Amino acid sequence: MSMPDLLEATEHDVDLREQTVLGSPWVTIVWNDPVNLMSYVSYVFRSYFGFSQREADRRMMQVHSAGRAVVATGPREEMERHVEAMHDFGLWATLQKADE
Amino acid sequence: MRAFRRKSAGYEAAFAPEEARLIVQLTEQIGAMLAEPAAGDAAVLRLLPDAYPSDPEAAAEFRRFTAEGLAERKVLNGQTVATSLAEASAATSATKVRLDEQQAQAWIRAISDIRLTIASRLGIERDDDRPNADEPLGEIYDWLAFVQESLVVAMQGRL
Repeated sequence: MSMPDLLEATEHDVDLREQTVLGSPWVTIVWNDPVNLMSYVSYVFRSYFGFSQREADRRMMQVHSAGRAVVATGPREEMERHVEAMHDFGLWATLQKADE
Repeated sequence: MRAFRRKSAGYEAAFAPEEARLIVQLTEQIGAMLAEPAAGDAAVLRLLPDAYPSDPEAAAEFRRFTAEGLAERKVLNGQTVATSLAEASAATSATKVRLDEQQAQAWIRAISDIRLTIASRLGIERDDDRPNADEPLGEIYDWLAFVQESLVVAMQGRL
């Protein structure tokens, strides 16, 4: 690995640590509804969040059987964008602080 | 109706004229509902839900910044569906409907919005709630599930 790569990796690590220490993270939650098809929910998770088929199915089943699943964690503004995108798809999504 | 299938470019199904007209009508009704939302309409609240369940102030603020754009995009999705069904609606026999990827994205969202609205009107709130057997909207609700499922399965093949 060349030096610039090493430096980049270090900066990135610092960024992550700062985010964890300074800003308490938020989560995007998708709630179960009796209307949207399981295949559709899984498709949305795969196509929008980039989950693998297995991971998308796992979170979809969690929504279905537990009533809700966390689908993303991060800064509040980013979670708001995810929630809006889920509403675009007709999925029932909300955001809250991760520790709420 | 012949279910959606993946083609070399895009997706293809066939709709009878009355089926195509029905979907067009439903998209227009959703458009009208979102253009002038009745206060406290449960269907509108389901299409544009609160983003902050335990913080009414933050929920109101989120709504102020996003609801208009969300509603506009939902209306546009419905119009895209209606446009792609124009030929099939005016035909006298079952007609092929071809969608590109962008139209297909509008379709899956618009059908979800239509089914959510029907479910709200029929009081479908839990996983085991079923429409009454003699309820015409219930038949449409189930048929649209079939339409959407076939399109989603076809689209999965492209991920």
